[in-house]
Amino acid sequence: MRNSTYFILIVAILICILGLLSIYSSTYQKEGKIWQTIFERQILWIVLGILLFAIVSNISYRSFWDLTYIIYILAILFLTLVFLLGVTRLGAQRWLKIGWFNFQPSEFAKLALTIFLARYFSRKSSDDIELLSGKFGIFRGLVLPFLFLAIPMFLIIEQPDLGTGVILFLLFISILYLTNVKLKLIFIFLFVVSMPLPFMWHFLRDYQKDRLLVFLNPNIDPLGAGYTVIQSKIAIGSGGFFGKGWLSGTQSQLHFLPESHTDFIFATFSEEWGFLGSVGLLLLYFILIRRGFLIAQRTSDSFGKLLAYGISLLLAIQVGINVAMNMGFAPIVGIPLFLMSYGGSSVFVTFIALGILANIDKRRAVF
Amino acid sequence: MIRVKVVIWSVGCLFVFLLFGLLNLEVIHGRRYQELGSKNCVKLIPQNGSRGKILDRDGFVIVDSQLAYDFMILPQETLQQDRIIENASKILGKSEKDLRFAFKSNFISSSVPVTIAKNIGIKEAIALDQMKVDFPAIIIQPNPLRHYPYGKLACHILGYVSEIDRWRLTKLEDYGYKTKDIVGFGGIEEKYDYYLRQEEGGTSFEVNHRGKIMRTLGFRPPVDGKDIQLTLNLKIQKIVEEKFSDKKGGVVIMDPYTGEILAMISSPGFRPATFAEKDNSTIAKYFNNLDAPLINRAISGTYPAGSVFKVIVATAALENKKINSNTTFVCQGQTMVGRSEFKCWSTHGPQNLGAAIAHSCNVFFYKTGLLVGPQPLHDYAVKFGLSKPTFIEVPYESAGFIPSPIWRKINKFKNWFDGDTANLSIGQGDVAVTPLQIARMMAVFANNGYLVNAYLVKSIDGRDMLKARRKPEKLNLKQDTIDQIGEGMRRVVADPAGTGGVISGLTVSVAGKSGTAQAPPGQPHAWFSGFFPYKNPKYVICVFIEHGGPGYYSSLLARQIIEQMINEGLI
Repeated sequence: MRNSTYFILIVAILICILGLLSIYSSTYQKEGKIWQTIFERQILWIVLGILLFAIVSNISYRSFWDLTYIIYILAILFLTLVFLLGVTRLGAQRWLKIGWFNFQPSEFAKLALTIFLARYFSRKSSDDIELLSGKFGIFRGLVLPFLFLAIPMFLIIEQPDLGTGVILFLLFISILYLTNVKLKLIFIFLFVVSMPLPFMWHFLRDYQKDRLLVFLNPNIDPLGAGYTVIQSKIAIGSGGFFGKGWLSGTQSQLHFLPESHTDFIFATFSEEWGFLGSVGLLLLYFILIRRGFLIAQRTSDSFGKLLAYGISLLLAIQVGINVAMNMGFAPIVGIPLFLMSYGGSSVFVTFIALGILANIDKRRAVF
Repeated sequence: MIRVKVVIWSVGCLFVFLLFGLLNLEVIHGRRYQELGSKNCVKLIPQNGSRGKILDRDGFVIVDSQLAYDFMILPQETLQQDRIIENASKILGKSEKDLRFAFKSNFISSSVPVTIAKNIGIKEAIALDQMKVDFPAIIIQPNPLRHYPYGKLACHILGYVSEIDRWRLTKLEDYGYKTKDIVGFGGIEEKYDYYLRQEEGGTSFEVNHRGKIMRTLGFRPPVDGKDIQLTLNLKIQKIVEEKFSDKKGGVVIMDPYTGEILAMISSPGFRPATFAEKDNSTIAKYFNNLDAPLINRAISGTYPAGSVFKVIVATAALENKKINSNTTFVCQGQTMVGRSEFKCWSTHGPQNLGAAIAHSCNVFFYKTGLLVGPQPLHDYAVKFGLSKPTFIEVPYESAGFIPSPIWRKINKFKNWFDGDTANLSIGQGDVAVTPLQIARMMAVFANNGYLVNAYLVKSIDGRDMLKARRKPEKLNLKQDTIDQIGEGMRRVVADPAGTGGVISGLTVSVAGKSGTAQAPPGQPHAWFSGFFPYKNPKYVICVFIEHGGPGYYSSLLARQIIEQMINEGLI
């Protein structure tokens, strides 16, 4: 299959369907009007997302080259607006209310920064396949892009949304690595960045400290900060090999597992579908991400190549952190499992990113 | 290109890592998390069955369980609480303030029903139960409570019930006992707890994270405990308790052929209901009382046997042919054993065996004992079941003790002297016996030479325990021995100078032996043990009064008991 558009779309829709099943299962029994609309709203987001995918996959990704700075500035603007007008939910100010839609700018910022980094390290001419960074010194290859990254990252971490901040940082390091920045420089950079980390402890919010401590030992506060990890592990573990069956998960349906339809949807899914279902789900994510890397590998244009790598890495890091956090391997950070978790922003941004991937593969033949 | 491969492999590794994480949680530790999961969402509201009844040999109830009702509220229906309490205070006749206080102090968590009032009457329970239509948060929980229709009667045989203690819990955990379980302490309640105890049933509910009940999962009916029928005869038991009143000591009345205990008391006693009612100040008094009301003196108290022991000396002498019916010793009020003077309680003149038993002549038995020797005396005592437990079905039985030269040598590093033999011959010295052992010993003469085993349990859950019983042991005594001693014991009562003369003159002929066991510094212990009617005995009796004075007093008490039994037509 030379053209990846349908492959990506089908895999994405399969994941979305599994997500919808889990969202339905975790909300259908809960009382209150909001719970009943969640399932229908998610269907709407997915349908709109597929539309966005169709549109974006037909717009040449090269046009993002020209729009890069506009997108970047938009992202900064949205993030600033969040500070001024944002909706506070669960102790964090992450959402902008636009009509009846709660927009999460940090989701948008992830994609915007991926595009920005891809552009920064590549050349406009699609004939020139050499990466720029070979010629960059320490300032242009490291300090300057980090400054560009640091502004939105700071805004996001201050929301506070440590998780997205960490994702951006990991993405940045991976892209540095992929663009042939000297290993020595990367290590020096990591060293310099990690120097003040011990002091950063004091700048963390109390709940973030709790989460880190609880990550090390969930039992220090089983009814407080450790509650979610413990319940999530119980949900996943009690699924067993074959799972409890759809609509039969007790952990998610009886409210024991908080955020069972958003950040902890993997636990919800795993409880009902068991080891087999979860392996299937991970496999779907894996082939989607693997396809992204394939597209990157066979694209000769340096911007397209880097963009495809960036998007694939972004997806991989998100899956990794979210699932690890569900299983108690990572501290709890508010990162959705894209396409599974309830939430319009995440669905839209993911479909746009997948659309860009599809378009990169489509355009390959043109050059 | 190497870096691309590194990145792709890293992503691959990430997925493999997640896979192993899943494998670990769901497959390797799945079972454990499943348990944790169901612990989260399944709650049980227990309902107790009632503990098994304890009956007498004719099926009359000695202990049963009566339903008491607990009034509880499910705290999660917060809106109803005030109105429920308002209405309940009218029904129960308690002030709203008290009920509210009970609610506050008994509140555990929102999912656990809160007990507002305990042990309410059936009328109030029905009235409150009818309010359930309007207030579904009301729970009326029937709660079986141990009920003792006769108060203190047979308290030591029954034992009492209370919350399980730590020692029993560690021992019984494997048999399904839990903390806060009500178990038996002492007596039948403890020994047969396994049969008596009820199985808890209840309704299991699925609850959500706030403990709100989502749906009912199932109901398991509670299973009542099994009934135990004792060999006790309630009528005789009542007579004995009544006549014994508040003296210290114990009485055993036994069937001489089967060993079934028809009545057994120990005094002072206790009210078993005190423990069921958790009346802590009275319970503390029981435990601190120096008279040890919780001890069953009939089986756990060991005392010097005194003159009652003389029948064993006589048996040993006759069986070993050291004396015969014509052997006569002259009692001059004392005799010299070695360099010590051993006294008799009177001066009896020439005594043969029959007269010596009748008058309980010490001199005769000093001399007889010395003829027999200490080891045969010990051996015959053991043969009659002394110095070893009778294995009656209630716990905490004492074995008692009979000394012997070998024991003395090994344990005390002392030699055995003739003075010790003389002391042993009148049941003094280190001799220690329980009233039950003496009754069992006496049964040998009533049933022509069989050592019976003592039994208290007739049937469990309708299944007769007869088959499980051991056969009485034939002691291979000569008929002549039994007859001679029997005649002697008849003379104790019938002879005008007999020590048990107070029992004569009844319509039933009684044979027996009294005893006055020296127990300095207090008064001597009073013993009487015998059987009646003399021909075809139906009952063996042993009356023991701790520091009760001379044997006359226990003989008198025996007479009162037997008289009352005759009056009630039991003989």
